[in-house]
Amino acid sequence: MRERMEEFEELAEEMFERFMERPSWDISTHSLEPLCDVFVSSDRVIVTADLPKVDPQSIRVNGISDDLIEITAKMRVKVNFEDLGVTHRRGEFSCFSCRVPLPVPVDASKARARFRRGILEVVLPRKKGYEIKVE
Amino acid sequence: MSDKVKIIERKEILDGLKVICGLPDVGLVGTIASSHLISKLKLVEAAYIRSELLPPIIMLEKGLPRSPLRIFANKDLAVITSEIAIPSSSVYPIIESIMKWAYAKKTERIFTLGGLPIPNRHEIEKPRVFGAASDEISLKILNEKGIQIIQRGFLVGPQALILNYCAERNMSAMALLAESFYNYPDPEASSMVIQALNRIIDIEIDVSELIEKGEEVRLAMRDMMRRTQAELARMKKSHEYDIPGYYIK
Repeated sequence: MRERMEEFEELAEEMFERFMERPSWDISTHSLEPLCDVFVSSDRVIVTADLPKVDPQSIRVNGISDDLIEITAKMRVKVNFEDLGVTHRRGEFSCFSCRVPLPVPVDASKARARFRRGILEVVLPRKKGYEIKVE
Repeated sequence: MSDKVKIIERKEILDGLKVICGLPDVGLVGTIASSHLISKLKLVEAAYIRSELLPPIIMLEKGLPRSPLRIFANKDLAVITSEIAIPSSSVYPIIESIMKWAYAKKTERIFTLGGLPIPNRHEIEKPRVFGAASDEISLKILNEKGIQIIQRGFLVGPQALILNYCAERNMSAMALLAESFYNYPDPEASSMVIQALNRIIDIEIDVSELIEKGEEVRLAMRDMMRRTQAELARMKKSHEYDIPGYYIK
């Protein structure tokens, strides 16, 4: 059992490293990948994303599948590499975009989202299962 | 000092300075605060840290190589900052070497600036600053300056090692920790720790620019936060959320 846990941890670490070893921006789509976080509680899944410089009206959250949501938002102003102090790369960014995998089934029809202090918060109720009677 | 970590002074750093550590941690609170201090006080690069325990990375500035882990100073203060996430496995030897250097420099007091992660940070208008220290005298000063002491709880990472090292060697150290995001750069929390530092060492660092340019800071710090998140997970930073075990008073 312990060996299996270690194998699983190594696999998770490898996947995480692979995820890290790519840029957080995409010149072809002019998009930046926002920092995101997923928190699972007993009755809901909370997805948050840090979206600096975005127009709140432009934020969209779409369900792609039962276990995947997409977050997009347009920035109020375009940002280029030079604005970030990098002069040897070319390209400008006008939006944030990311797809966030959900670790447990959710009832997407009852999801709600709000944007506060630059942070998008999407709350998705977890799918209800069946009840087991306690004797 | 560990053979694997060397602190190389490019300019003379006087003895008896106050040393401020702002290393990458939750919300990059210390890193953002230290960058702001370096900028506002016009501190100059005085030393750098060379270590085989760091990834093989240099910072290019105007085409020239610089260490990502550096010490900036004037005649009163030395500020230690990093442009990269420090690998969790290297935090111990690197902090120990920095503390040995600070001891040899007869440092007046060490301040470590950082964040205290709270899950509902985006609901909070004004993050509170909490303190902890290596000795009773420093705790008394924190109390006098109106900074609430963390009475019981876990600390993980650079500030934990700094306080512990200093407590063992009768060095005076204070941790100033503002309520912050765990995974997102938090310039507001950084401004709060700077304001607390202002009260303690009687300086006047203006933080209005840090607040006004908050969105730019968050944008610029995304990649560093991403790398730091990975190291925070490896060092089990979430221990700070844990409630300590039962004890009898």
